[in-house]
Amino acid sequence: MQFNATLIGDAAMLARTHGETLSHLPATVHAFILVELQKWPTLFQPEQRYQRALLKHLSHLPKSSLDSATAGVSRIEGQAGVNKVTDRHPAGFQDAAQALLRQRGLQVAWRSEVDGFFRTIDPALEAQLYPADAPRRLVVQIYGSGIAVQRDKLWSRFKGAGVRVPLDLGGTKGTDPFLRQLLGAQEDGGGTPALLTTALAPSPLDAWLIEAHEALHSLFDAGPTTSRAAPTGLSYDRLRPYRDELTRALNSKIQSGVESPQAFAAYARSLQIAPPAGALLYSADILVAFVRDVLLTGNGTLLMNNTFVEWAAVQAIKRAQPRVLITRFGVRDKLRPFSSMVMFSQPRPSDHLPSVQDPAGSFVDVEQLSYYVWLNAEKTPAYRGKTLYLFLAEGVDEMLAIRSDRPAATASGLPPARLPDVYATMARWLDSPLAGHAGQPIEPLVSGT
Amino acid sequence: MKLQRRDALRIMAACMADWWLPRQLFAQRISARKKPERRVIVVTFGGGVRYEDTMAPEGWVNIPHLASELVPQGLVYPVARHEGLTGHFNSTGALVTGTRQNVDAYGSEAPVTATIFEQFRKEHALPPEEAWVIATNKSFGLMGGSKLRAFGDPYSANVLLPKQLLIKTIKSAVSTTSGPGVEDRRALAERMMLALDEGYEGFGWRVFESERTLGPELRASLAKSLLDYFNDPAAPTSGDELTFFMTKEIMNRFAPSLLVVNFWDIDIAHYGAFSLYLDAVRRTDRLVHELWQHVQSLPAYRDRTTLMVVPEMGRDSDVAGNGFANHRSGDESCRRVWLVALGAGVPKGVGSQRPIRTLDVAPTVAEILGFKMMECEGRPLPELAF
Repeated sequence: MQFNATLIGDAAMLARTHGETLSHLPATVHAFILVELQKWPTLFQPEQRYQRALLKHLSHLPKSSLDSATAGVSRIEGQAGVNKVTDRHPAGFQDAAQALLRQRGLQVAWRSEVDGFFRTIDPALEAQLYPADAPRRLVVQIYGSGIAVQRDKLWSRFKGAGVRVPLDLGGTKGTDPFLRQLLGAQEDGGGTPALLTTALAPSPLDAWLIEAHEALHSLFDAGPTTSRAAPTGLSYDRLRPYRDELTRALNSKIQSGVESPQAFAAYARSLQIAPPAGALLYSADILVAFVRDVLLTGNGTLLMNNTFVEWAAVQAIKRAQPRVLITRFGVRDKLRPFSSMVMFSQPRPSDHLPSVQDPAGSFVDVEQLSYYVWLNAEKTPAYRGKTLYLFLAEGVDEMLAIRSDRPAATASGLPPARLPDVYATMARWLDSPLAGHAGQPIEPLVSGT
Repeated sequence: MKLQRRDALRIMAACMADWWLPRQLFAQRISARKKPERRVIVVTFGGGVRYEDTMAPEGWVNIPHLASELVPQGLVYPVARHEGLTGHFNSTGALVTGTRQNVDAYGSEAPVTATIFEQFRKEHALPPEEAWVIATNKSFGLMGGSKLRAFGDPYSANVLLPKQLLIKTIKSAVSTTSGPGVEDRRALAERMMLALDEGYEGFGWRVFESERTLGPELRASLAKSLLDYFNDPAAPTSGDELTFFMTKEIMNRFAPSLLVVNFWDIDIAHYGAFSLYLDAVRRTDRLVHELWQHVQSLPAYRDRTTLMVVPEMGRDSDVAGNGFANHRSGDESCRRVWLVALGAGVPKGVGSQRPIRTLDVAPTVAEILGFKMMECEGRPLPELAF
C-alpha cells in the first residue's frame, strides 16, 4: 500500500532506502513505522536507532521469511477489510484501520498477531542494540520527606528481590543535606552533584531527574548553568504554570463540547503550548515534546504528582533510556470533595478550599508506583541485567538495593553505610572517578563489576 | 446548622427523585400483571477490580463487609471470568444480556442482543418501573435495552444516572443571583458542573439542558446543601454515594423486581493513585453491605430478594499487564473476577470452585424471575434455587 507520509532528513532517507520492504509489509505495520518516522525530530536517539535497526533487519530477511512472519497480521487485515480504507496519511489510516478492527471484533486478534510479529524479530534487534558489554545503568528512587513511611511495609512489593542495607545517616536531617550527601554535592550548597555531572557523558539526556516537588532541581539552582553541568529534569511543581495552561485549554474544549474521545485526543495533540523558560533544567525541543506527551497521554499525570513521576520515568526508560535516572516521589494533596470528578479544572479563589496533604495515601501510592518503575525498567532490554536499583526514603536508616544481574534477595548482614558510601557505590557502579570523596563503595553491591 | 454530607445527599436525592422520577415513567404503559414474587438486585463493582485486591485472601482487607459478613450468608464463586472486551459498557452489556458485546466503548450504541430487562418486562407484561439500571458511569444511558424490533424501548429498563441528574439540579440551583453567599457564583457553578460532569476515562459528554426548574425555596436549600457538601474537606469524593441514595429511593417508591446498580468510583484507578483505588473498593464494599441492610428493612424485599455482587471486570496485572490503573490489556487479571450471591434461594456459607462466567448472570436472573431467556452464551447457575 502506498502512503503519503511527510518525512524529512534521515527519516525520509530511511523510508526511501527501505521502500520496497515497507511496501511489502502489512498495511497496518507499514503505517505504524511511517508514523514513527514522521516523529523523527522528537524521537530520542535510542528510538531512532531502533527504527534504523528494524528496517535494516526487515530488509535483510528473505521475502519468504518476511511473508511468514507477517502472515497472521495480513490475514486479520483481510478479514477486517483494511484494504478498503482510503485514507493515505499514515496516522489517518491507522485510526480508520483501528476503527474497522474494532467494528469487526478483530482488534484483540490483530494486536496478538502484531505482538507475535515483533516477538520474532525483537531478539535479533535487542542483541544488536543492547550488547552484553553496554554501559551499566543506575536507577535511584527516593521517597521524599513527608510521606508517611510505614517501616513494616516499606518496599513490600519487592518480596524476594535485592538486599536491605542499613544506613548510618549520621544525624543528617532535612532533605537538602540528605540529597547532597547522596549525590556527591558540596555541603555548602554551591556545587552541583558530582554523580550527575562528572560521571556522565556530555549529553544532558544521559541523566534524568524526575520529581514531584523540586528538591532535586534546587541542587542545581546555585550551580553552573551550562548544559554540560545540568541533567534533564522534570519537576511536577515547577511545571505548574504549564500544567495550568494545558488544563485551561482542555477544560475550555470540554465546555464547548467534543465529538468523541478521538476528537478530544486530536485536539490535545494540536495544542501549541510550551513550558515557560526555566521550568526545565534542559529545555531542548525534544524535551518539550516529551513533557507534553507525558502530560497529555498519561492518565492522571496532569492531576497527581506521583503519577506524573511514575509515568514520566517509565516513558524516559522506554524512550530516552538514560544511563542514570533519579526519581523523587512526594506527598500528594487529598482530593477535594467531588474533585475526583473534576478532570481538567483548576481550583479558583472563590472555592476557599485549602489543600490538605495525604501523607498516608501517598505512601500507599508510591509503594506501587516505584515498583512499576522497576518492573518497566526490567522489561526494557537497555536496563535488564545491567542496572543497579537503589530505593531510599529520606530520614529512613535503610535502603533497598537490587542488582538486576543478581536480583535474588540476599540476607544483608552488612554494616551500616553512610550516605557518602552510597554515593561512592553509585559512582563505582558507573565507573566514574571517586577522587577526593570520603565514601567507600559497598562492596557486595559493586563486586564483580 | 451545618448540613452533614449525608444530609446533603439525602436532600439531593429527594429533590431529584421528586423532580425526575415521574418523567422516567414515559415509557409505554403496559397493562401490568401481577409482580413476580421474587426480586433480583445485581450490583457491580464497576470500573473493575483485581482478584488480588479483593477476593484473594490478601485482598479481604479491602472488602471487609463482603468477606466477613455477606459471604458467610451466601454463596461465593471465587473463580469467575469475564470474557469479551474489557471496556466498561461492553462488559456490563455482557452481564445484562448474557452475550459478549462489541459496541461503542463510550456508550453511544445500545447492546445488540436483548437485555434481561426487556425480556423480563415483555414476558410478564410489566410496566417500566419494574426494571431499573442505576449507574454512576455516565456512559450507561443506553444500558437499559437493545434496539431490537421485538424488544427495544417499549420494554427497556429505566436508566438513572444520578451524577447527570445532579448536574442538572446544580445548574438550575445556582443559575440565579439569589441563594447562598458565594463570592464568585459563576466560578462556583462552573466548578460544580465540571465536578459532576466527568468520568475518569471518557470525554465529550455534555450536560442536558434542564427541562424544569426548581422552586426558589427548594433551589436555595439544595444549593446550600451542595455548597456545604462541596466545602466539607472531610467529605469523600463519591458519585457512588449518590447512586446508593437514589437506589434506595427507587426501592422505597417502586419496589422494582429487577435492579442493576453500577458503582463506579473504583475507576479512579485511572489516575494512578493506588490508595484512592483501594478507598473506592472499600467504599463499594460498604455500600453493598448497606444496600443489603436496606433490603432487609423493606417488607417488599426481605426474604424474597436475591442479591448478586460481581465485578464488572478485572484490571491489568502488575507483571503481565499494565498495572491496576488500566484494564485494556486483556490479560488474565483483566478477566479473573468473582461472584457473591445471597438471599432468597441461595445456600448459606457455601463456596463453589466451579468456574463460572459473568455471562451466566443474565440467564440466572431469568431463572429466578421466571422468564424465558433468549439464546445467549451464558448458562444459569444451578447452585441457586429457582
